Amino acid sequence: MDTAVEVRELVIRRGGREVLHGISAQIQRGVITGLLGPSGSGKTTMMRAIVGVQVVRSGRVTVLGRPAGSPALRRTIGYLTQSPSVYADLTVRENVRYFASLYGIASDDADQTIRDVGLADQARQLVGTLSGGQHSRASLACALVSRPELLVLDEPTVGQDPVLRDELWKRFRQLADDGATLLVSSHVMDEANRCDRLLLIREGEIIADDTPAAVKAAAGTDDLDQAFLTLVRNRTEEGS
Amino acid sequence: MIGSVRAELLRLTRWPVTWVVTGVWLALNVMFGYVFDLLGYRDAVSSGDRRLAAELLAQISPAGVPATMTQGLPLFGGALVLVLAAVSTGNGYGWNTWKTVFTQGPPRLAAFGGTMAALAVVLVGIVVLSLVVDLAASAVVMTAESQALTWPTIGELAEGVGGALLIAGMWAAAGAMLGIVAKGPALSAGLGLIWVLVVENLLRGVSGLLGALEPVTDYLPGTAAGSLAAAIGGVTGSESGGAPGVVTILTGPSAATLLTGYAVVFMLVAGFLMARRDA
Ligand SMILES: Nc1ncnc2c1ncn2[C@@H]1O[C@H](COP(=O)(O)OP(=O)(O)OP(=O)(O)O)[C@@H](O)[C@H]1O
Ligand SMILES: [Mg+2]
Repeated sequence: MDTAVEVRELVIRRGGREVLHGISAQIQRGVITGLLGPSGSGKTTMMRAIVGVQVVRSGRVTVLGRPAGSPALRRTIGYLTQSPSVYADLTVRENVRYFASLYGIASDDADQTIRDVGLADQARQLVGTLSGGQHSRASLACALVSRPELLVLDEPTVGQDPVLRDELWKRFRQLADDGATLLVSSHVMDEANRCDRLLLIREGEIIADDTPAAVKAAAGTDDLDQAFLTLVRNRTEEGS
Repeated sequence: MIGSVRAELLRLTRWPVTWVVTGVWLALNVMFGYVFDLLGYRDAVSSGDRRLAAELLAQISPAGVPATMTQGLPLFGGALVLVLAAVSTGNGYGWNTWKTVFTQGPPRLAAFGGTMAALAVVLVGIVVLSLVVDLAASAVVMTAESQALTWPTIGELAEGVGGALLIAGMWAAAGAMLGIVAKGPALSAGLGLIWVLVVENLLRGVSGLLGALEPVTDYLPGTAAGSLAAAIGGVTGSESGGAPGVVTILTGPSAATLLTGYAVVFMLVAGFLMARRDA
């Protein structure tokens, strides 16, 4: 299997504290990998290291065959930050066109991306006046518009209703089927079930790296929520 | 970089702030350059003050446009473009958008260059627009007063446009730098305004009493801007009651050189910080 991202012995300190303690993982090309873990476990930090905006203390991150943060990678990566990053004083369409024109992408494609995230009716609305869920979808559209090879999405479905979540996941599946690699962080276990692979992270360490089915089998349960709790507890007991 | 220029231009032209700043500047220009001068001229005519009437008429005449369009720039116009530039670079930090641009967009310096180029295009637009509006306002007023139209020479026009661009460009560079230094629109615009409108004037006032400060205040950005505007408007040291911020401290050429120097330094600092610091 082809590897899109390889993380080796990654150690990261933030604010004087070690946040990731030498984690290693491989993310396969063309599939959806879910990054799951409790709040504060280091998901955003790991994503930042992969897109190359995080100072790395030691270890190595290789993205599509190049060191993370290489200039050549820029056009191939789409990064959705956890908090929306769009101009609140421009409309949805102006924002998406802004990012589209950074890559010389036609405005038709921008409009298509707006439809893809379900914002066609809000295209002419100022982002500052959108609802919370619409706001983060506007941000998602800006990450998707360049059709990147690697999509790093930090909690893309937070604040979305079940119908929209379902549509967005179908969209992610479509992108993966078309060859894109997706790394998606989430707290929601029913979303974890829709991933091809799962990376479970807890207090800066990876506690599982497998398919959802294998994670459930290892924990001896059919329920991912339960499996996650079991794995987290097992590790705690091992540690103590 | 072409992509960045296009993207930033799209952002600036779709942005209400750009149009508000342009509109306010044009309105101030017409108000102080034509409406008030016209009222003053009519007063002077009816009270029989020929000398004042002639002076005001010269200012309203199309030949006076290069002077009129630069007189307001050292202070009010400068403050306006400074705010525009500060908000345009600062906003990218405020809304987290530089972060996204820097991770998946063009190289940082291209993004910075694109922003500066887009700002330059907007400034050229504003200056050309104020030239057209001023010429039109002048022609309308002069015709209404049944006065002959005397037009500025091409050389005078070029001087006015060039001077206006240099003054506005220097203040815009200062604003862009402040927006990047403060990583946000609010603080940078506020600090810039206080500098342009308050601090420089206070310093120049103090240096009148305290000779030791003069070598500093004679070379402040606002001093250079005001001196260039005075040189273009033919304002001399003995005249009083000119536009605020217009001063006769430096000669035209040395003011222009100093303005260029400030603009270059501000842009170098801004580009360096944008490239080196976390978004
Ligand atoms: N700039 C920072 N300075 C100091 N500590 C930080 C900084 N950023 C993150 N941390 C700490 O690093 C740890 C991991 O943070 P991270 O944002 O990666 O968590 P997360 O898994 O994404 O959490 P969530 O699910 O809540 O988004 C947390 O304990 C957090 O407090
Ligand atoms: Mg997070």
